[in-house]
Amino acid sequence: MATLHRDPDEAARRSGRGGRGGRGGDAETADAALAAAGDGRAFERLYRAHVARIHSLVRRMMGPDHADDVTQDVFVRAWNKLATFRAEAAFGTWLHRLAVNVILARRTTLGTERGRYDDSQDALEVVPSRPGAGVELSLDFEQAMGRLPDGARQVFVLHDIEGYRHEEIADMLGIVEGTSKSQLHHARMALRKHLER
Amino acid sequence: MKDQWTDRLSEYLDGELGAAERAALEGHLATCGECGATLAELRRVVARAGALDDRPPTADLWPAIAEHIGVVSLPARRARRRIVFTVPQLAAASVALALVSSATAWLLIRAGARAPVAEAPTPAPSAPATPATAAMYPDKRYAAQVADLERALERGRGQLDTTTVRVIEKNLRIINRAIREAQSALAADPANSYLNLHLAQEMRRKLELLRQAAALAGARS
Repeated sequence: MATLHRDPDEAARRSGRGGRGGRGGDAETADAALAAAGDGRAFERLYRAHVARIHSLVRRMMGPDHADDVTQDVFVRAWNKLATFRAEAAFGTWLHRLAVNVILARRTTLGTERGRYDDSQDALEVVPSRPGAGVELSLDFEQAMGRLPDGARQVFVLHDIEGYRHEEIADMLGIVEGTSKSQLHHARMALRKHLER
Repeated sequence: MKDQWTDRLSEYLDGELGAAERAALEGHLATCGECGATLAELRRVVARAGALDDRPPTADLWPAIAEHIGVVSLPARRARRRIVFTVPQLAAASVALALVSSATAWLLIRAGARAPVAEAPTPAPSAPATPATAAMYPDKRYAAQVADLERALERGRGQLDTTTVRVIEKNLRIINRAIREAQSALAADPANSYLNLHLAQEMRRKLELLRQAAALAGARS
């Protein structure tokens, strides 16, 4: 399993997305400690603070069909692993890393691993724009992301939304850096057609 | 149309080209309007991705998670709280509440009358106000209750199966650790109201767990 070297919250803050959900700071660390001691209400507060971000990450990485199921799995695993949270990083960062690991493990189970990472131009053809509309918007940007091939979509989400580097993405997905770069470029080229004008 | 530089535009955008390639591409961009337009669109894609909003799931996933991990969900707690009383029940409750209040007041007054003036606690003039705190918890009585329950549990321990004993001991270790950590943190920051509250919660949790375990052991003996 990949070891992540970067704080995605920091990347998200820098990219202007506002970073993690949740209240952050001492309140969340305290809730994590309470939850680790068995306090379900504290864990529910953590769930409500972070569910939108985790669900969005899962939905973008795996598609809407698995989003609820995998999000539940992330929080159940988080509950079981709370004793390993040491407050060295923000709770949101810890949870996010756990979510990425769960997604990657599930992706392997679902058989969407390496075979989908062919370094080709497919992404350019898979996302259709409205016939005759040129670069007009034909799909919501997120819907268009969802239609990208798995490899291009996952690299795009991890790099451009979650802020991971190609080196980290290649490590996580079991591909070479060059493939990560070309998948990202293909995804971006395909998504140009779905920009709001 | 596509030229040899089109596939390098993302790397250029991300600052991942070496100095020589970067200079060559910039030279090309100065003369190729199509690559310039593509680069501008790629910039907009990256900006759009960075501006995406996170959306929660359409259905609340917490009840299923709560059930899975064995805690009670907020909607379930709310449902439990939705209790309807009849007017006679409410009247009886009012009378009972009045009686309890009177008795409590009487006991407090009597205790106050007995207390020697010299032993009356003198609050520190600059001590910050805290909510109902662990520091205010009746330590001796608490310790005595814990000791009683631990003895009761020890007596009935043989009646419990090993899995139950293991779960109880594991939970007690977790709670004891939380108590120790809270006490240690409070030693450094005694006025921290959150820590006081947290310590009180953990102490109550320990008492409750011991009560349940002792009752379970007693019921089986």
